Amino acid sequence: MKSTAEQLRTEANWPPQQRQIISFKSSTGSETAVLKEVRWGLVWRDFILEDGRVIPEHRISGCPRPQVWRKIDEVTDHEREECEERLLSMAGSGMDPRQRDQPFWAELNQYLAYTYLRFKHADRKKDTEQ
Amino acid sequence: MSRPDNETEEQEAWRVLSEAGLVEIRLDEFAERIRDVKRIVGARLHELLDFNTASKERESAAYSLGTLKRLELKVLANTPKPPDPSEM
Repeated sequence: MKSTAEQLRTEANWPPQQRQIISFKSSTGSETAVLKEVRWGLVWRDFILEDGRVIPEHRISGCPRPQVWRKIDEVTDHEREECEERLLSMAGSGMDPRQRDQPFWAELNQYLAYTYLRFKHADRKKDTEQ
Repeated sequence: MSRPDNETEEQEAWRVLSEAGLVEIRLDEFAERIRDVKRIVGARLHELLDFNTASKERESAAYSLGTLKRLELKVLANTPKPPDPSEM
């Protein structure tokens, strides 16, 4: 477990910079790779590697806990619609989401998570209002 | 879906998604998870159809449901077929 000082240091330097070497958990164990960019998805941040793989933030070593996630209401209609278009286009081109850490896998994961939270959230708000 | 007192909104979202198997979907469970999410959206759409208000949310839910159906069909169509035993 990290000390408070270590935790604060990690958070101050988070997320890592482009071209930095990062460690993460993959299906084969722990790996390192060069970070190309960090991009927000509909719910969490994805780390795009130089080799094209997409790793969700929670699998990156040193990720501060708890992670920062977007609130469902922060996602605009336009952003959601663009994501839906991209997913349909990737599916239409024959891409298969069952390729772990690939863009279609990553984007479909986030879209399903977001949609689930969005409508569960609406359901809960309704219960609270009653 | 009640939130324990000491749980933040983010921790709650993590817990809810983990319980639903949606944080990192297993490769062989995409079709099943799409169906689960379709069920949630469909139930909400059904409720919204009973209201005269919230037409924007209704439209958006209907669109999301349509997207999920199309994705489900594509994912199923792209599923690798098991080898035909007669060819083995």
